[in-house]
Amino acid sequence: MKSARRHSPWVRLAELRPRIFAFLLDWASWGYIAYGIMYFLNKYWYIRHVSFYGRLTLPSWGWPLVILVTLELALLTHAFGQTIGLSLFGLRLLGSDLRRIPIRRRMRRYFEMHWKLLLQPIALFTDRSLGTLLHDGEKTGTMRLFAKVKDEMPLEKPRNWWLTYRGLFTTVLLGMTFWLGWKITAINLGMLVERIGKSGHIWRDLFTPHFTYLTKNVIDGRTFSIAHYMMETIFMAFFATITGAIVAFPLSFLGARNIMGFSAVGWLTYTVMRFLFNIFRSIESILMAVMFAVWVGFGNPFAGALALFLHTIAALGKLYSEQVEAVDPGPLEAIAATGAKRWQVVAYGVIPQIIPSYLAFTLYRWDINIRMATVIALVGGGGIGTLLFYFKNEVGRLENAWNLVGSVIVVIVVIVWLLDYISARVREKIG
Amino acid sequence: MDEFIRVENLTKIYERGEVLALDDISFTVKRGEFLVLLGLSGSGKSTLLRCINRLIEPTAGTILFDGINVTKASARQLRHLRRRMAMIFQQFNLVKRSSVLTNTVSGRLGYMNPAASAIHKFTKQDIDDAIACLERVGIPEQAYKRADELSGGQQQRVGIARALMQQPDLLMADEPVSALDPATSHSIMQYLELMNREDGVTVIASLHFLSLARRYGSRILALKDGKIVFEGSPAEIDAAKFKEIYGEEAEEVEVR
Amino acid sequence: MEQNYHAGFIATKPNWRKAFRAYGKDLSVLAADVFVLLALWGLCSFIWNHFALGTRDFLSLPWWIVVVACVELALVWSSFGTSPGLRLVRRRLIDERGGRRLFFRRLLRVVALHVQPFLALEALITAKYTPRHDRITGFRVLSETELAEARSPWYRSSSSLSIVLLGLAMFLVSALFTQVDLGALFTNASATSEIWYRIFHPDWSILGLGVRLLIVTLYMAFMATLFGVLIAVPLSFLAARNLARGVIGRSIYTVLRVVLSIIRSIEPIIWAIIFVVWVRTGAAAFAGMLALLVHSIADLTKLYSERLESIDPGPVEAIRATGANGLQVILYGIVPQIVNPYLSFTIYRWDINVRMATIIGLVGGGGIGQRLIQLTRNWVWDQAIVLMLLIMIAVWVMDYSSSRLRARLN
Repeated sequence: MKSARRHSPWVRLAELRPRIFAFLLDWASWGYIAYGIMYFLNKYWYIRHVSFYGRLTLPSWGWPLVILVTLELALLTHAFGQTIGLSLFGLRLLGSDLRRIPIRRRMRRYFEMHWKLLLQPIALFTDRSLGTLLHDGEKTGTMRLFAKVKDEMPLEKPRNWWLTYRGLFTTVLLGMTFWLGWKITAINLGMLVERIGKSGHIWRDLFTPHFTYLTKNVIDGRTFSIAHYMMETIFMAFFATITGAIVAFPLSFLGARNIMGFSAVGWLTYTVMRFLFNIFRSIESILMAVMFAVWVGFGNPFAGALALFLHTIAALGKLYSEQVEAVDPGPLEAIAATGAKRWQVVAYGVIPQIIPSYLAFTLYRWDINIRMATVIALVGGGGIGTLLFYFKNEVGRLENAWNLVGSVIVVIVVIVWLLDYISARVREKIG
Repeated sequence: MDEFIRVENLTKIYERGEVLALDDISFTVKRGEFLVLLGLSGSGKSTLLRCINRLIEPTAGTILFDGINVTKASARQLRHLRRRMAMIFQQFNLVKRSSVLTNTVSGRLGYMNPAASAIHKFTKQDIDDAIACLERVGIPEQAYKRADELSGGQQQRVGIARALMQQPDLLMADEPVSALDPATSHSIMQYLELMNREDGVTVIASLHFLSLARRYGSRILALKDGKIVFEGSPAEIDAAKFKEIYGEEAEEVEVR
Repeated sequence: MEQNYHAGFIATKPNWRKAFRAYGKDLSVLAADVFVLLALWGLCSFIWNHFALGTRDFLSLPWWIVVVACVELALVWSSFGTSPGLRLVRRRLIDERGGRRLFFRRLLRVVALHVQPFLALEALITAKYTPRHDRITGFRVLSETELAEARSPWYRSSSSLSIVLLGLAMFLVSALFTQVDLGALFTNASATSEIWYRIFHPDWSILGLGVRLLIVTLYMAFMATLFGVLIAVPLSFLAARNLARGVIGRSIYTVLRVVLSIIRSIEPIIWAIIFVVWVRTGAAAFAGMLALLVHSIADLTKLYSERLESIDPGPVEAIRATGANGLQVILYGIVPQIVNPYLSFTIYRWDINVRMATIIGLVGGGGIGQRLIQLTRNWVWDQAIVLMLLIMIAVWVMDYSSSRLRARLN
């Protein structure tokens, strides 16, 4: 007896999710090819419209035409071959005997698709088996999840990847992206070579650093010291990492599905936490430092530390919560069976399992934060970048500006390399 | 049956003088024999096998294969020699992500045109031969599956099929059944026996279980701490010799 | 074939490596202790100077006094208790004479330790290292595993306490150095209220330009990753320790590893400074791409070669045993094992390159970052926030798809 809940429209929609996403992906890839064609037309046909950013000039009827054509092409390829989207989502078009369908039937599928897809919303409410659309059937084949039918499929020789539709399509996409990229970024190796004369002195100066400001020295009434700024950088990164790790530790439990997923409030917290992690991870520390430099003062290392702090919480929070989710449930079961409360299960079961990877991730993050801290002075975050950019700006005025830049770079390389090596060794020891 | 392999004063020292793996070993193998190497783990069986095809460089000694000096062969000669020596391993050593067919055909690599093999362009003859070898070991229907999707016994059979593709004169088996259950072990040993009897391939296999050695071997060579402690037919091993090979606390385990 | 060794060789070989390793262990104990003590002194004196005297000074005394004091203290520490250095090399000091005149013997050991540097000469000449300072005073240094003792809890051992103290001091000093001032956040908030107002009322007119700039940025990242992969894949074979044979191979490996580590330590932004000056003005995207390319090559080669060093040698051995030549061994034995990990690293690097490409414009590397920094310098915050949102969306999509793809590759 089929229960009504099992075939509710939402469940049916959820079952169809891979097919919908695969279709959208293929449609988007055809749209991308259309973009490439339009760029080509713009660049080489309308000579007047050669624009650096590939501006698309289309008449007003152009956009609907593009959308229709790409839609048709996506439907066509979905009916016929194994597209990229379908293989990414693990789907295959197979007949009831689990073999590939002859061409004529695929043509029929293509034609049926058009009018049957319009009727599809109605079919969501009727009693049909899960995961199929109206144009699926005996004659026209069904889209099946490859992983489920793999073992029952008859063995046949797999075709060479280069000769399949998706292989060709991927090659075309890659080739087009390569060509577009070449044009858009305006690669011109000849320019590099011919400008060696003008800029060769930079390389020569960089390799002969002047260490006048290594400890302390005065210029224009200001005292500089590479050592001082380097320590500022290291301490800034250390502070941000430690405080970020301390804050991320409890937050990671709030963002872990296996701890939070037992109540509606829990799910809400989990979703919000994950969302916040994603947002702050997507904004690089430097961009946040732009804001903070304005807030607490330009050149103040606190601004850089704050920016690194927020980014670190998000990055570590995500890594930590993934570890919490991957914890072995066996020990947790055992501890819960002794009658321990929820928080005790977490404290005695979860935490001991995750401490090594937490430490490893924190070290990894410290490494990255040091690298970021060296350049965060660009937007006013303090640290050794201040000296770097100051000397670079003196290029017109000072004779040995590039030599001084070289000395800063040498110190950065030495410290970053050293800390990288140490953190790699310690991480090896931990796990 | 004439003398096929002669090993003279073979010595192998590891770790700059701290580990003596093989200590002055000398023996001969006749053509068509099924020689079984016995001994505890660490007695030098694997090292001996790998010295014969120079996967490990011997420290001292000479190895003659069908009259040719293996230890002094150049790189090119060595490759030609290796074509005639097939090897199967305890951990099967298949390329996990490649298909069974590709693994089998890679037995022919020594004979293939280097440029063609670089782009995986196998001749139809090679592919037919590979399918034939897979049929001989009983798994032709697995040809297009990925190698790590097969069970242990099936993977070892692919290893044997790869060895068959070389049409070798010598087959060396480094503990081929140690990772398999008893029933599968017998089936694998039977394939080796088939190769020995029908194709006339000389087999040198290192085994752990004396019962398997008694059943399949025509001659036994026992190693202990890098030295030969027993050389003779399987029937000659009695309780005293057994303790000599394996040590005082050892007890025989039957593998039925 | 290696030269013939005769039987005597194995027994009497002088083993310098062993001697130096033993000596090195003793030296590293001393070095670790001195380092911990110096760090503790420096941090504590900084804290003291900051709060008591209002100055910034790491050494309250002349530097040579500090160094000598720390060395002496370290020697005393390793003889009287378990110092951090001993913990590091996992050894303990065991008393062999049953506690007779313990204090005096420990003191004698400290004095004897001053002779330690000269023992290195002895190790060099005779290939034997005898820790006389231990033998005379009746102690022995044993590794932890031989002792089978329970470790004392962290609050009762001097080494753990000192490390904890070091950590706390480091944290405090870093907070001071970074000029942490939470009050400033609140007092300045009102001064920057206009900026906050602008941020929450974005100006969407710049959306079209923003999208176009974003496309350039994405292409910059793609091209840098593509060329990076093309160059890094062959380089990785040269930089893998297990594939480097012979003198030439080993020296190429060492040089490559060193050079690539140096290049990797320099952030793409710094490379962009150099390249922006090198290329013509107006080719900013090219400069950014080159900066990303250089860093990508170094990073990808490191990831690739580390993966190459951990391949399963079994299949490689098997293919060699069939008589295949070198290239065939690589193509049939090594390549199938590494295709998926290489792809996974490539996608990971592409993700990072997209992040970097968005900010590389800040130094003039083209793309959306360049326009962003212009807007912030001119305080046009309502448009700047739109660009930041675009960056965020692009990075988020890239991050999500890269993690999904990499999950599938495993």
